[in-house]
Amino acid sequence: MPEQAQRRAPMGESPQKPPEDDHALEELRHLIVAPEQEGIAEIRERMDNRERRAEDVSSVVAEAIQMRRDQGDDRALAEALAPTIQETLRESVRRDPHVLADALFPVMGPAIRRSITETLRSMLESFNEALEHSLSARGIQWRIESFRTGRPFAEIVLMHSLLYRAEQIFLIHRETGLVLSHVVAPAVAIQDPSMVAGMLSAIQQFVKDSFDSKRGDTLGSMDVGDLHVWIEEGPDTVIAGVIRGHAPASYRLALKEALESIQQRYASALDNFQGDSGPFRAAGEQLTHLLEAQYKEKESKRKAPRAAIAAGALVLAVVVALLIVWGYTRSEWEKFADSLRQQPGLVVTSAAKSGGKFRVEGFRDPFAADPNELLAQAGLNARKADLEFKPFYSMDDAMVTKRAANLLVPPAGVQLSASAGTLHASGSAPLKWIAHFEDRALWVPGVAAIDTSKLQDADTSALESMVLTFPVGSAEIEPGQESSLFQAASKIRLILSQASNGNEIPGIEIVGHTDTTGAEGTNLLLSDQRADHVRGILLRAGIQPANLRPRGVGTSMPLRSEATDADRHLNRSVTFKVIFSPAAPGN
Amino acid sequence: MLSKKVCMLGSFSVGKSSLVRRFIESIFSEAYHTTIGVKVDKKVVRVGEEDVTLVLWDIHGDDVFQRLQLSYLRGMSGYLLVVDGTRKQTLEDALAVNDRVVTELGKIPAVLVLNKCDLIADWEVDSDREAKLKEDGWTVFHTSAKTGDSVDHAFSHLAHAMLGK
Repeated sequence: MPEQAQRRAPMGESPQKPPEDDHALEELRHLIVAPEQEGIAEIRERMDNRERRAEDVSSVVAEAIQMRRDQGDDRALAEALAPTIQETLRESVRRDPHVLADALFPVMGPAIRRSITETLRSMLESFNEALEHSLSARGIQWRIESFRTGRPFAEIVLMHSLLYRAEQIFLIHRETGLVLSHVVAPAVAIQDPSMVAGMLSAIQQFVKDSFDSKRGDTLGSMDVGDLHVWIEEGPDTVIAGVIRGHAPASYRLALKEALESIQQRYASALDNFQGDSGPFRAAGEQLTHLLEAQYKEKESKRKAPRAAIAAGALVLAVVVALLIVWGYTRSEWEKFADSLRQQPGLVVTSAAKSGGKFRVEGFRDPFAADPNELLAQAGLNARKADLEFKPFYSMDDAMVTKRAANLLVPPAGVQLSASAGTLHASGSAPLKWIAHFEDRALWVPGVAAIDTSKLQDADTSALESMVLTFPVGSAEIEPGQESSLFQAASKIRLILSQASNGNEIPGIEIVGHTDTTGAEGTNLLLSDQRADHVRGILLRAGIQPANLRPRGVGTSMPLRSEATDADRHLNRSVTFKVIFSPAAPGN
Repeated sequence: MLSKKVCMLGSFSVGKSSLVRRFIESIFSEAYHTTIGVKVDKKVVRVGEEDVTLVLWDIHGDDVFQRLQLSYLRGMSGYLLVVDGTRKQTLEDALAVNDRVVTELGKIPAVLVLNKCDLIADWEVDSDREAKLKEDGWTVFHTSAKTGDSVDHAFSHLAHAMLGK
């Protein structure tokens, strides 16, 4: 179709020519230009047909992008594509968020981790800085500086520990000096940006006008002590970075790049600028990236004192630990020495650490506790102890008691106790031992007197507790008491044989009793008869008559007050009593 | 946020500094005038529903001794011509400056401020002269560093004019 239309068109251009001429000319023309015409027609068709044009572009679009990138100018391409890509992403999320989420999943984890690590690291860093600066001599110096200048301490620290920090970035409209965008690092004190930007522009102008600078040359930087203002000028905008410290040259490049990018991105907004900074709000984000900071490396010099402090702390800790151990062991030994002092029969004359050993000197009664055993009980190392005790006799009551017991060997049933030089014996013992005690006790070291008031002869008490009973009104012993009589006789023989060595002669009283029934006179007579009756038995058993003294007491010494028949039965009896009388035999 | 660059023009000692001191936000010292010949201040004016920041370039006076640095005027949206009412010469100087501005930058919104109205008895600029100024198209304000009301009016009027309202 198009080809026919092409052919027809020239024909219409010369309607006045004769048909035969036309025909010949047409033939000629066709021969000459037909191939070109066809080519042009095809090209036009390609241009007009959107489908074919798209087809053509599609075959080279990838190469074109590649080529653009190879030219090193991918920024413009990226910026051109950015809005479309942003819109595409937004649309994709709107349709199905999972698609993008799935695609991003592998990168999100590491990105988040990295961000957290970075945040923690910088937190730690500033914490370290703060710690270091708050305690060191330099920290104190800075505190003084802060106090003197009235600036916050944090600012002083930053000032000294920063290598550099971009504190503020101004994006200024070149012609008017108005602020398009302004960003500030955290905790930086600032002046009104619109006035500062105006003044910066004024100064730029001032420099240009006053020093007749060459065209295109501008004020590139201003330095005030530690503060530097770096200025980069574009056709419509000026970017000014306020930097504390010494930024590397590469930072100026970053400023330049940001400026170029902004110039390009906001070209139309800059052309139509009427004082409204609204369209440049997004540029703030780009400027924020320029607010970089770099801290000083920790000087190795500074590590030394830190190491020294650590070493010092370690030494201090060890010393404290040793002191505690020493104090503990010392107090353990002291406690042991005190416990020795508490022991009866031990006298501590000196106790002290000497040559790595704990040396105790003193005196020890042979009956006192063994210091080596006490040492073992206290759980102390015997090899670290040096105990030296000399023997002696202690006058301590407990020691005297032990010594007496050891020398006098009291029978079971006898207790000895010394108090203030007097040895008390109590309980019952054979008469022989009692005599032995009375004879020897005063020889025991530490015993000055004896007390036997609570000591009883065992045989005597056995004899004296014996009761021989009689039937009512009879002086004949009740049957079945033969063994008691036999025992009484042997006890009497024993008592007489043991006690015959003194100045006193022992005698055995045979006491006859009656119950209260019957007349008193009859009872007295009956009691005499009962005593005589027992005496006769004992004489037959071989006891010497001189030692036996029978007497009747009637009802005057009843064994029991009579309430029952059993009481009366007990009162119809004969009992014994051992008496001593001077050796002047009367009967 | 809308900002406009506004210049304050006028001879030495017409009282610009005292106007600025009392009615305008300022962070820079007056020494800037004598060093670089300009001092930038700020005044926020409400126009309709909107706050407009006027960034004021207070340019050091132009008289026989001073060459006006036209480069400071670049990009301004309007200006105040400040005149000392008690000195007629300051008016003539100001009008001469105005001619130069119009020649260089074309016609842009401006107001004329007759300062020191507290000393009106001593004024050399009489009412006839003022009427003539108004005939020439000037909006004239009487201001004083002591009263100050008209200072705000002058800025407000200029802001409206600059925004075409």
